[in-house]
Amino acid sequence: MPEVSKMKKPDVKVVLLGDMNVGKTSLLHRYTERKFRDTISTVGGAFFLKQWGPYNISIWDTAGREQFHGLGSMYCRGAAAVILTYDVTNWQSLAELEERFLSLTDTANHDCIYAVVGNKADLIDPKAQMFQDSGGEPEDRTELEKDRTEPQVLSSCPTPPASPASPSGMILHKPVTHEDAVALYGRILRYKGLEEKSSLPAEKMCFETSAKTGYNVDTLFETLFDLVLPSILRKRNENQASPTVDLEECRGKRARTSCC
Amino acid sequence: MSVKAFELVPAVERDLLMGDKARINIECIECCGKHLYVGTNDCFIHHFLMDEVTSSKGKLSYSAQKLLHKYLGLKKAVAELRAASALERLIVLCDGIVFLVDMVTLETVPSAAGGGAKIRGVTAFCINENPVNGDPFCVEIGVLSSKRRTVQIYMVYEDRVQLVKELTTPEQPCAVSVDGYFLCLALTTQYMILNYNTGASQDLFPYNSEERTPIVKRIGREEFLLAAPGGLGMFANAEGVSQRAPVNWSENVIGATVCFPYVVALDESFITIHSMLDQQLKQTLSFRDGHILQDFEGKVILASTKAVYVLVPLPLERQIQDLLASHRVEEALTLTEGAQRNIPKDKFQILHKRILQQAGFIQFGQLQFQDAKEHFRKGQLDVRELISLYPLLLPASSSFTRCHPPLHEFADLNHLAQGDQDKVLRCKKFLISYLGEARSTEVANGCREDVDTALLKLYAELDHESLLDLLASENACVLQDSVPWLEKYHKYFALGLLYHYNGQDSAALQLWIQVVDGSLQDSTRSDLYEYIVDFLCSCSSPDLVWKYAGWVLQKDPTKGIHIFTKRPVSKDHPELRPEDVIACLEKHSQALLLYLEHLVLEKKIEKEKLHTQLAVLYLERVVSLLSKSPPDEELLTRARDRLQALLRESNLYRAQYLLGKMEKYEQLLLERATLHGKLEEHDKALHILVHKLRDFSSAEAFCLWASSSRDSEYKQHLFHLLLGVYLDRNPSGKSQATVKSGSVDLEMAAVDLLNRHGEVFDAVRVLRMLPDDWSMQLLRPFLGRALRASMHASRTSRITLGLAHSENLQLLHDRLKERKKPIFVSAKKGCHLCHNTFSEPDVVCLPGGVPVHSHCVAQRVRDSPTKRQLTNSSNHT
Ligand SMILES: Nc1nc2c(ncn2[C@@H]2O[C@H](COP(=O)(O)OP(=O)(O)OP(=O)(O)O)[C@@H](O)[C@H]2O)c(=O)[nH]1
Ligand SMILES: [Mg+2]
Repeated sequence: MPEVSKMKKPDVKVVLLGDMNVGKTSLLHRYTERKFRDTISTVGGAFFLKQWGPYNISIWDTAGREQFHGLGSMYCRGAAAVILTYDVTNWQSLAELEERFLSLTDTANHDCIYAVVGNKADLIDPKAQMFQDSGGEPEDRTELEKDRTEPQVLSSCPTPPASPASPSGMILHKPVTHEDAVALYGRILRYKGLEEKSSLPAEKMCFETSAKTGYNVDTLFETLFDLVLPSILRKRNENQASPTVDLEECRGKRARTSCC
Repeated sequence: MSVKAFELVPAVERDLLMGDKARINIECIECCGKHLYVGTNDCFIHHFLMDEVTSSKGKLSYSAQKLLHKYLGLKKAVAELRAASALERLIVLCDGIVFLVDMVTLETVPSAAGGGAKIRGVTAFCINENPVNGDPFCVEIGVLSSKRRTVQIYMVYEDRVQLVKELTTPEQPCAVSVDGYFLCLALTTQYMILNYNTGASQDLFPYNSEERTPIVKRIGREEFLLAAPGGLGMFANAEGVSQRAPVNWSENVIGATVCFPYVVALDESFITIHSMLDQQLKQTLSFRDGHILQDFEGKVILASTKAVYVLVPLPLERQIQDLLASHRVEEALTLTEGAQRNIPKDKFQILHKRILQQAGFIQFGQLQFQDAKEHFRKGQLDVRELISLYPLLLPASSSFTRCHPPLHEFADLNHLAQGDQDKVLRCKKFLISYLGEARSTEVANGCREDVDTALLKLYAELDHESLLDLLASENACVLQDSVPWLEKYHKYFALGLLYHYNGQDSAALQLWIQVVDGSLQDSTRSDLYEYIVDFLCSCSSPDLVWKYAGWVLQKDPTKGIHIFTKRPVSKDHPELRPEDVIACLEKHSQALLLYLEHLVLEKKIEKEKLHTQLAVLYLERVVSLLSKSPPDEELLTRARDRLQALLRESNLYRAQYLLGKMEKYEQLLLERATLHGKLEEHDKALHILVHKLRDFSSAEAFCLWASSSRDSEYKQHLFHLLLGVYLDRNPSGKSQATVKSGSVDLEMAAVDLLNRHGEVFDAVRVLRMLPDDWSMQLLRPFLGRALRASMHASRTSRITLGLAHSENLQLLHDRLKERKKPIFVSAKKGCHLCHNTFSEPDVVCLPGGVPVHSHCVAQRVRDSPTKRQLTNSSNHT
């Protein structure tokens, strides 16, 4: 059997985690394609290779559906950054990050950085709603205009809850404040056993984005890329320090060399 | 979004295998080159020889020939068959026992003395295709035993097996695959990686193996394909990291494998084919009673319960072409690029380029020019492929023929645009920008003529401003092909530039002249005439200048003369001889005048002939203006000013000759006076000025002018002359009456002259000349000045004298102080000047106390008046 071709080896991994429907796929799509378009709920996972200067960064879009929950640890293994995504109109999606997703990041690098990202900011923040992405497609704008003329959209948010009920049996569907996100970030640090003082500050690591308008999307990804650079360099140095032997060479001879 | 990537080809049909025995099913298969082994549920192994047959149409089929079958004698199904071809053994799992069978005879291999050739209690085993131990005469297998929660590693030799490792697992394992030291295991509730060398383990992800059959398939070095919850095909490497995105299968996948770049999976009724490159489902083949899917050295073989099939991949190129045919550019490129490592480098590059070019043309056809351009660039498209789409753009001389097979489906641009003129235009604009960029790169190497000619044609047709830039700079436009095209679009100016570029300046000029004259229409340049003048001006061929000078001068002598006057002086511009130019200008008096002015006034050429000719021309102009009635005063004044200026400033013309020409024109007195002045006939000049013109200020100016480069005596002479003329009471040829009336004016003029220029005159002489009856009052300013001047002169000279005297004394004093010692003079010593001896004591001392004869010094002083100070000596004895 011929060896399966390896693709360009990524230098570093960034993983998007979060409940279904919070907009992970949409965020990645906005960043890579500069468009907002209909998505279907992600199956399994997908990834995108981003060239960042001389480095290759793989960005993994995971599936939020419960069914695929078990794969999360594997996706996070060796991650340099994890983007914990929630939906700003859905308080439950923030709660899920702590309840379900945080433990998946145990397999990430010990110096992994965490960003808490509230997506769909266009539904609660006029600033995000009015934002125009430079690369935006015209149809986005018309949609935007439609929204503008129907401000009631904000109150009658169509986003379905991620999980049908909260532990208390009550549907938690209230918007998430920035303070909630900052508080969660603090708890994440505690969970990781990290000193708040020596870690990246919450103001820097809590984002509100809109995949729909593009608001803050570039900032989010680019901030993270810049922050993971040291991790890349360290990884490269490690590789140089302990050169690995290419075992492929010595394995040329197989038991099943030829047939009869 | 389907691709035809594989074809299902029958290999062993039901008849051949079991005939009409309905209850016999295939349980396992093994393929090794042409040898196919099939294990059945009735404990038989069948051995077939499978030949590939390619039909004349290129269709592949298999013909199978049964070699042997053998009953293993266990009454149980044959669960697994694996070949160890180097050992010539089949490793068989049947009834929970692993044992060895000869590959040729299918006889069970008896246990060797001292070592068993059987492993009992086995539920599954797998061969390590990438063993760390390099012994070619043994095979390493991973074994799952029915013993609880263990996995074992055995070495299999020709006639024995040997346990080398046993490890316990946290749960019961139910599927295994091995690569190097890494075992990939499906346990009851999860997958894990286990390093049998170090014992280190790595959990992968949870999976309920009791609910769904797990799949653990090694797909490459330290990489496995696993069935994951939700019907996913997940990739995981030995470190427990997923490096590829999962593919989305159905929930009931039985078997899966990778045939790069595809993941092939089998469920009860379909074979699904996903691309590993974009995770998309590419092909679905229906397959009933699917039972086994395995790959053997790259060959994918499937079996239903009754028959065996081969899944034959279609040639990559064909798949790519299929994708391109349905305009799926991105997928085609992904597929091509994904195959890079499976194709030899040079072959890949050729394929890749071609696919890029085809992709570019598809996008071009969709007017996605940006993408098209990028693909053309990456695919290093021969630009002529693109140019040749546009009818008539390639020059007739071009040797280009389109590549075969064609890169696209378009006959030409019209075919592509289907009559949509807007499309055509956009395509043309694209080509302009594309060629414009290609020109400056090596892409255009070897076909510059084609590129530049095409560009020229497009520019001309679309009235593009860069046409002129193209022609004015280095280019390779084919003249023959471009001429009719430029003519068609009335780009005559451009055509002229092209002629010029091709060294046919005469053709260029003829064309432009026709445009200026209106017989050809081209509005490119409204200043084409000036352009022609500039052109001739810098034209290196004198012949052309002579040839077109007539036309140019006739059109506009003032501007036209620039072809001679503005001609740059440099090596490659042979100078035109002024005589030739003048001869040429014979019929163009105005131009001639301008030319002479250029020579005389600007270039300051000092030639009598030129100066005289210019003066004559000026004169003729004045005369012709005079002859009009009434004369245009303004023009006349200007013409005369010029004439006068020349007469005054030049010293080279033949004054006498001009004077002769002017004699009969009473109006030109001033000019005549100037001429007389030139001839030093000042009295005549002054006479004219004073008596004929009565223009006293001119007379005065004349004196200043005529004496301007002379010494003060000459000036004084002239002023006295003028004064004389003023005071002359009886000028010749005048009646007494006129004299009487004029004399007052003249006297006043004389007074003014004296009062204004008193310092020039010799006052004593003036006083003698003046009539006695003039009042002092009248001459007060003059006298005052004269008095003051003479006083001043006297005082100045006295001061000079005094100063000189005191200086003299001072020097004398210094000298005495210096040389107190006497100076000896004797008859034996010689004089320094004449070298004769002294005969008397009277001597003069030179500075430094050198005695010399006094007559020698006197002599010396006379010879060099500047050394007067030498006389500041005194006698010594
Ligand atoms: N208004 C608004 N809607 C958004 C935004 N981002 C995503 N959506 C919508 O939210 C829905 C879910 O988006 P996805 O990107 O598929 O969500 P996901 O997190 O990838 O979901 P899973 O793949 O199931 O985990 C879609 O209907 C999107 O159109 C946003 O910024 N603003
Ligand atoms: Mg998604």
